Amino acid sequence: MMRYVDEFRDAELGRALAGEILAGVEPGRHYKLMEVCGGHTHSIYKYGIDDLLPGNVELVHGPGCPVCVIPMGRVDDGIAIAHQPGVIFTCFGDMLRIPGSNGSLQDAKAQGADIRMVYSPLDALRIAKANPDRDVVFFAIGFETTAPSTALTLKRAKAEGVTNFLVMSNHVTIVPPLRALLDSPDLRLDGFIGPGHVSTVVGARPFEFIPADYGKPIVVAGFEPLDVLQAVHMILRQLAEGRCEVENQYTRVVPYEGNRRALEVLAEVFALRPHFEWRGMGFISQSGLKLSDAYADFDAELKYAVPGVRVADPKACQCGEVLKGVIKPWECKVFGTACTPERPIGTCMVSSEGACAAYYNFGRFAREREVV
Amino acid sequence: MSEGADGVRVAECDTQHGCITCGDEALPMRVRRIDEDRGLALCEDAEGRRSSVEIALVEPVAPGDELLVHAGTAIGRAA
Repeated sequence: MMRYVDEFRDAELGRALAGEILAGVEPGRHYKLMEVCGGHTHSIYKYGIDDLLPGNVELVHGPGCPVCVIPMGRVDDGIAIAHQPGVIFTCFGDMLRIPGSNGSLQDAKAQGADIRMVYSPLDALRIAKANPDRDVVFFAIGFETTAPSTALTLKRAKAEGVTNFLVMSNHVTIVPPLRALLDSPDLRLDGFIGPGHVSTVVGARPFEFIPADYGKPIVVAGFEPLDVLQAVHMILRQLAEGRCEVENQYTRVVPYEGNRRALEVLAEVFALRPHFEWRGMGFISQSGLKLSDAYADFDAELKYAVPGVRVADPKACQCGEVLKGVIKPWECKVFGTACTPERPIGTCMVSSEGACAAYYNFGRFAREREVV
Repeated sequence: MSEGADGVRVAECDTQHGCITCGDEALPMRVRRIDEDRGLALCEDAEGRRSSVEIALVEPVAPGDELLVHAGTAIGRAA
């Protein structure tokens, strides 16, 4: 194991930090902190980080799992493209199992559509070059962490004159849903653990609106257990001292201004959609990315007619409330019974970054925690 | 383990380690070799899994550098 990782998993240091957190909280005050990113949700459950926190410090999960926020209508649109004659449809593994209104991509594959799992958009481009007589469509998904990878692959395709590589963009941006959450009346949050790897790309600066407009602290954090504990400590210290600002716990990776080259390539290849639908959160203005005019020839949605129908989430599924941190995964009516990672109803149960799947896999035995 | 599209052995998505492509998390990988013609680097993760990585956002890189890799693209440097 790399030195890089070991330093941030030291149990002794973790207990010491937990002690400092405990010493710093006000008894009788309830603290509700949101981890924005699905990667943090995953770490918190994997390492049992919430068990190290005082009972009155509650972590709630945010909308930061890109797979979980995909609405059913977009899955249906992807399946419609996958069924077009001659199309090879490519996507990340987690996407295969996301239920649409009439089955998943995996079901479409079983029905004969040529759907292939890839690990990067570059893999999809390679498939396109190996199959010049077929259209290869990449179902692009993810926040600003993943969008540069799609953008660079499109630049590469254009430079190499590949004309049978197409992208169906479902990329989303992190700031608009956070603003929507902060505007939501049913959620009272005291602070945020900021997304470490989105911030590697966009920097910490875009989060300045959180303290400036809403008076809440945010600490951008890494994904190792000590990173998350330290971020909690930094947020609680801000609250204790009456401060609210953007702090960067993850300075070893995140530059405050982000990655300039990545931001340039995103601006060249993508354009903001006027609005984009988020599962459980509805339409959010300027939160989704489509291909820019310069890349219109690569846009699968312009080449193929898609249904584009908005499909309501299943009634029993409460992913929307889970994504907004209003309820915990186990408070959902179908959690662990009708909805499991093997047979998911909702998106949060599919991806390992999804709050429900993460909790189901790691946290289910520790859920009776007294909240002071 | 399975074969990726270019024959490089890659990890399956699994719930113990988290999905290497779909989440918001990047993995530290070490540069082994650089393919200057294609603008890619052959990188290896802590468990010895190798894959070719787009390095346009972090160039210049040298063998031995540690990069943060997400969906086949290095988005930053691991301290």
